[in-house]
Amino acid sequence: MNALARHRRLTAIWSSNPGWKGWFSTVNHNDLGLMFLVTAFFYFLIGGVLAMLIRAQLATPRSAFAGPEIYGQLFTMHGVIMMFLFAIPAIEGLAIYLLPKMLGTRDMAYPRLTAYGYWCYFFGGAMLLVSLLFGIAPDSGWFMYPPLTGRIYSPGINTDFWLIGITFVEISAICAAVELTVSILRYRAPGMSLGRMPIFAWYILVVALMILTGFPPLILGSILLELERAFGMPFFQVELGGDSLLWQHLFWLFGHPEVYIIFLPAAGVISTILPVMSSTTLLGYRWVVAATVALAILSFGLWVHHMFTTGIPHMGLAFFSAASTLVAVPTAVQVFAWIGTMWKGTPRLLLPMLYILGFFVTFVIGGLTGVMVAVVPFDWQVHDTAFVTAHLHYVLFGGFVFPLLAGLYYWLPLATGRKRYFRLGQVAFALIFVGFHVTFLAMHWVGLMGQRRRISTYGPEDGWTAINLISSIGGFVLAFGLVIVLLEVVLNVIVRHRSLRNPWRSGTLEWATTMPAPAYNFASLPQVNSREPLWDDPNLPTRIARGEFYLGDPANGQRETLIVDIATGTPQQHVVYPNNTRLPICMAAVTGIFFLSILLKVFWLAPFAMVGVATLAMRWAWTLGSKKDLGDQPIGRGVLVPNIAEVDRPPGWWGSAFLLVANATLFGSLLFGYAFLWTIAPGWPPPFFVTPSALVLITAIIGMAAAVAGIGHAVSSNRRGAKPVAGLLIALAGIAALGVSLLAFLTMAPSPTSHAYGATLWVLGSYGLVHVLVAALMLVFLLLRQQAGYMSSQRRAELAVAPLWIGYLCVTTALILFCAYLPGMVA
Amino acid sequence: MRDLLRILVSPFVWLAAFSAVYGLHGILCEIDLGATFAGASWRRLSLAIAFSLAILVQVVLLMMLHSDRFGAAPGFSRAVSRASGWVGLVAVLWTLFPVLTTTTCG
Repeated sequence: MNALARHRRLTAIWSSNPGWKGWFSTVNHNDLGLMFLVTAFFYFLIGGVLAMLIRAQLATPRSAFAGPEIYGQLFTMHGVIMMFLFAIPAIEGLAIYLLPKMLGTRDMAYPRLTAYGYWCYFFGGAMLLVSLLFGIAPDSGWFMYPPLTGRIYSPGINTDFWLIGITFVEISAICAAVELTVSILRYRAPGMSLGRMPIFAWYILVVALMILTGFPPLILGSILLELERAFGMPFFQVELGGDSLLWQHLFWLFGHPEVYIIFLPAAGVISTILPVMSSTTLLGYRWVVAATVALAILSFGLWVHHMFTTGIPHMGLAFFSAASTLVAVPTAVQVFAWIGTMWKGTPRLLLPMLYILGFFVTFVIGGLTGVMVAVVPFDWQVHDTAFVTAHLHYVLFGGFVFPLLAGLYYWLPLATGRKRYFRLGQVAFALIFVGFHVTFLAMHWVGLMGQRRRISTYGPEDGWTAINLISSIGGFVLAFGLVIVLLEVVLNVIVRHRSLRNPWRSGTLEWATTMPAPAYNFASLPQVNSREPLWDDPNLPTRIARGEFYLGDPANGQRETLIVDIATGTPQQHVVYPNNTRLPICMAAVTGIFFLSILLKVFWLAPFAMVGVATLAMRWAWTLGSKKDLGDQPIGRGVLVPNIAEVDRPPGWWGSAFLLVANATLFGSLLFGYAFLWTIAPGWPPPFFVTPSALVLITAIIGMAAAVAGIGHAVSSNRRGAKPVAGLLIALAGIAALGVSLLAFLTMAPSPTSHAYGATLWVLGSYGLVHVLVAALMLVFLLLRQQAGYMSSQRRAELAVAPLWIGYLCVTTALILFCAYLPGMVA
Repeated sequence: MRDLLRILVSPFVWLAAFSAVYGLHGILCEIDLGATFAGASWRRLSLAIAFSLAILVQVVLLMMLHSDRFGAAPGFSRAVSRASGWVGLVAVLWTLFPVLTTTTCG
């Protein structure tokens, strides 16, 4: 088969359905990555328009442009859109589009999950957009502090839109994080060891792990606040044992890592582009990886620095002040690595490089003001002033938008196959750079003069008029620059001016494909021997197209790729992907019905939507696996590896493991909240504590033992070639016993509306019951699969996932009962 | 996976220790221990013991990462895991040092 015939055959196998209808059924990362990016930039446009409206309001004193109610919606939605609907999805889109190409593979680990994540983002974002159009958008700031957001002070639906919409959108982020993690760890080109991974992949791996551990506290906070608003469970009401500071802890446990979740991918873009622009390799690759890991984990120890003015003891302040200054060190390691890279190379002042230089100036200033606000006495002075607004824009715009624009111009030829015809990018850069600094330097200044954040107007006697006018003019110059960027991208797509292959002379694998990349990325999966395979072998693209490497023979008509060993990159498993399907969009729509039913208080609809999601999820999983033993599969070059249906740890095991990491973080945050209320909240102790029940404890212990023994027996029976039915039924009985024990526990718990203690016990018990249902569904599914002939001693992957979830259920149930009874035992 | 764990373990242990000491500080400030030992309050002594334990754990981890038995094979993973081991130790020393120097619950 020659290269052209191979290309045609692979294109027929991997392409999405033709026409616009194909958008709804595509599971290809090229399509979905671009869909994420286009949607994210659409929201960037809307967020930008809102910013202009804010600046129009503040340009003059006593402005009547927007009243306080509308202004509240404007600044809240500006922050919400930029953080949740632009920045995070843009990162996801960029990673989803680029990573399989950079890693030398054909798609992400779970293509349908990519699509499901996109549609959750689409529907969740649309929900928030509709609220804006109807004038009922969230209006309490992007951080939604109670008691302002409680039912008393925010009785309308505005706050619910935030709580429901953001939780819906965050499903998308969790989906993306799980599959980015698994894809980077396991879906790489043969030979690509951890030390040969493109640096961008390291950044995204770290960020994906941060999303898995950073987002759950906010999801939990949103659930608790919605439960308070909808059902009167008083988690944040001081008079009923709650504490509004709990929200601040949960929010900033997410909120501070969020800053680094946004910055680190942008730093990954810089670390990728800068060496290419300097015609050299990245200086200190290992140090940069270590600094990235350090920065990511240190960022989880900073959350209280957003709460310096809440009356925390000096020692607590000192802990977080010290941690806040420490993050400057790994950040500086990266900055010095970038400077050193330019020093050892030959920098070319091409357009992406201009944006990188803009990033340097802006981000370093933002970093320095960050160290200033890390110092407690200074923070007390500038807290809640425009100085902090200016600081965060220097960090986020400087640390994210400038690198993103550098990346846009760098990878645009890869996405469109065209090169720039009109030279508008340089003009746009000048306007954006000047406009940004005029806007936000002035904002620092007016903040130091005392202008508070979020005020809708001010008087001429305050002395802020001229500075605000300058800031507003700068804002409009910045917006004009961004419009020119948009114009240039549109022109690039329209004007047929073909680009050369690998126009920047980069060494990474994304440039080894044709431009734009075909649906299958690589005709054969290359053998990688260094971090810059294209510099090692300039003929590599031709050899890949000729099918000289792995999986170069598309004879069986399946979407195939490889799983490799995490550390060494040795091929280990053969993967066959599912085809195009509308299942993800349907499941996202039904998920949306669940969230809408909560939002509109049509609670009877919610269980039906949950049943719908569960049914679709089972349909989703049913299409996987095989009814016959496959044996080891030839993958080319004389290598044989097993199919994923015949291994102990298939992709589903890895996905579940990382999903459980996020789940455990949510559970841990719930326990933290419980401990916080118990020890800190002024309304404790409650009227009475629940005392341990022998019935509940014995039933739980029996249930755990049966569940663990049953699933273990099922796995070993299947491995011996016997039917695993008996083990599965024993496990199911054990799960049922756990459910009974948790239900009995809830009947003894105090009312969930009388005190935060009772509310917390109800959430803990409900958390356990939800997991009982999930585990039971898994076991029923396995029984059906066994009956349908999907299991054998060789096809053992079917039974890999359920033990993980059952083990997790048992551990969490034990912790729920222990923590629930602990205050009673201590008292 | 082991290499990844070696890279992550020390900073994660720092995060756990940092959160634990902060939590312990919160709890101690809610409890009136009332007594002193050798001129120092029980609160400060408890926090200082926790600080010492955190340092000890980080030192042990660092030694393990430098050993042939527990450390990664020579190359990328060894270099990065050792660097992150030092990050964990320095982070414990820097961020928990206030237990010795500032007022406890004021």
